[in-house]
Amino acid sequence: MPTRPRLRPMVLLAVGVLVLTSACSDGTGNTAEAAAHPGALAKNCGTNKKFTIGFAQANNAEPYRQRVNADLLKAAKNYPDFELTIADGQGDSNKQISDVANFQTQQVDLLMISPFEAQPLTPAVTQVYQKRIPVIELDRQTANDQYTAFVGGDNKAIGKAAGEYVAKTVLPDGGDVAILQGLTSTTPAIQRTEGFQEGAKSNPKIKVIAVQPADWLPDKAQTVFDAMLRANPTIKAVYANNDLMANGAYLALKGQNKAGQVAIIGTDGLPDPAGGAQAVLNGQMTATFVYPTGAEAALQLAKQILVDCATSVSRNTIVDTTLITKDNAQAVITKAAN
Amino acid sequence: MTTEPTEIAEDVVESPPDAPAPKSRTRVTVRWPRLSLLVRFQSVLGLVLVLLGGIAFSPRHNGAILFLTADNLANIVRSVSETGIIAVGMTFVIIAGGIDLSVGAVLGLAGILVARLMVDGGWGAVAAIAAVLVAGLVFGLVQGAVSTTMRIQAFVVTLAGLQLARGLARIISGDKFISIGYGHGPGLAPPSFAVLGDRVGQVLPVSALVFLAVGAAASVVLNTTRFGRHVFAVGGNERAARLSGINVRRIKIATFAICGLTAALSGILDAGQLNFANPNSGTGYELAAIAAVVIGGTSLFGGEGTVVGTLAGALLLGSLNNILQLNNVNANLQLVVTATIIVAAAALQNLASRRRAP
Repeated sequence: MPTRPRLRPMVLLAVGVLVLTSACSDGTGNTAEAAAHPGALAKNCGTNKKFTIGFAQANNAEPYRQRVNADLLKAAKNYPDFELTIADGQGDSNKQISDVANFQTQQVDLLMISPFEAQPLTPAVTQVYQKRIPVIELDRQTANDQYTAFVGGDNKAIGKAAGEYVAKTVLPDGGDVAILQGLTSTTPAIQRTEGFQEGAKSNPKIKVIAVQPADWLPDKAQTVFDAMLRANPTIKAVYANNDLMANGAYLALKGQNKAGQVAIIGTDGLPDPAGGAQAVLNGQMTATFVYPTGAEAALQLAKQILVDCATSVSRNTIVDTTLITKDNAQAVITKAAN
Repeated sequence: MTTEPTEIAEDVVESPPDAPAPKSRTRVTVRWPRLSLLVRFQSVLGLVLVLLGGIAFSPRHNGAILFLTADNLANIVRSVSETGIIAVGMTFVIIAGGIDLSVGAVLGLAGILVARLMVDGGWGAVAAIAAVLVAGLVFGLVQGAVSTTMRIQAFVVTLAGLQLARGLARIISGDKFISIGYGHGPGLAPPSFAVLGDRVGQVLPVSALVFLAVGAAASVVLNTTRFGRHVFAVGGNERAARLSGINVRRIKIATFAICGLTAALSGILDAGQLNFANPNSGTGYELAAIAAVVIGGTSLFGGEGTVVGTLAGALLLGSLNNILQLNNVNANLQLVVTATIIVAAAALQNLASRRRAP
């Protein structure tokens, strides 16, 4: 029986890819606009134009990031000149690098990005920025200075606010406190925990007796906090790096018939039905601190850059946190729904 | 001289009449012989269709077809290079009748290992890469040995391997990212390692070149060597292969070793491209790799498949995601389209397969 020429398609495929890759030209090079607005951050800017904005989201599967997407799309309705498209990085830096490259291929007028991981995304974002496409980073930064502006919350300040709230309002007479930490390899988990410990120090009678990672996950938080409670029955308050873990802590308390006996402080404060604001309203949580999406601020920056042809914009925009308690939870939910 | 592996199997199934083969293994004649050739390279055809679709539906800018720009095509190959390399190794395992679920975790472990060796251990790039490749090979080898000697299904052994590799990666890294900075001296990786993240002639990413080279080498091994024929024989009918004097155990172990090697190579490329190692890297890559293999026309029952098909399967998925994204199609819809293609590929293969479902 003759040998099948199985290699041939393989070779053709390889050659085809190589030829296509090397033969086609790069479609960029629109410099005519640059002359019209010398010094402008964007090479294509001005009024009465349509602009495409690409947003490379780190991972659509997280409730907070879904909120960011929803806020951005909602805010974009106020800017009829903007067409906003969102790419889902799916929690994988490799995927997000492709997303950024695709936006570059599409020749978007402005790139927004929440990098899943800072360092891996840095070269891709730098390349876009160096082609004079303005870059607004949302919530997380890349590892160098090659971007136009950053908009986000201050994780350490939010943690500190939570720590001070526990020290002054929740446990003015002091007591034992536990912390449920996010995935320890992530910056927000580190900064929020550091901030909280700093803030809690404002009351010397507060003792942080247990810090355990629960990787941002409610089921893990439930298991971890259940064990914490059994080991330390004196815990009077627990601070969770996000509301999902705060909910896990609530379930652990409920399982031990201790619901309401330990104050639960969360972070994120999403106004969705499954979010922290609703949990505070229901009395499951004592309070939560909003981690702001910064969507409105980001689009205002985009307008300055693209429509107003700004030659400089604010480099860092820090969006303040809001404390949500039973008093204002309903107002927060109502406001987001409109 | 190549013997058609499926024929070996057929002969032997017929010869011992006292031992009827299990029903699912019953072979029937090809219903549509021409279709069989088409199915053999279904993913190549699929890839051509997707590329044509990409050209037709590509957004244009000043007359240029954005899909066909050099940068974009290079990006497509780059985006699938890591899962594609793993898929090549997976093709061997699946043809031999096995499965390897550990590959994504091995990728993460390899990235951490290569980063630690260079950043903390002060190793040279070549030595570190070689050591990690050997580690990946040994990891696969051990999985194969455990599976064959202790007679545990590959699915179970490699499921355990997944947990083990992920656990080791987190322990070795201290559950932290490792940044790879370049330079000379302690805490820095040798600059030569950065080559893995470069682009040849500013366009073709090194990872894409490695992917195509690995595919070409694997295709040669599978189609022209005795080892390759034995892999088909073992997957086609294990008992028949044993009776004809093939060391089935050794062949199976070798396929797992190859798969571990490709997973480690992907992990090294991952670290090199990202300048960064994350113990959780590669999560879910095993499924992307299996998808490319299935779309490539390799049968999960073993005994049939091609590396070319796998390469085209991986490129098909990458091109499809690219064109959908260039047209701003919702990312969730992309998953639905991928699902449809996997089922269509499997159905097409069944239609022309030499075996009929019981």
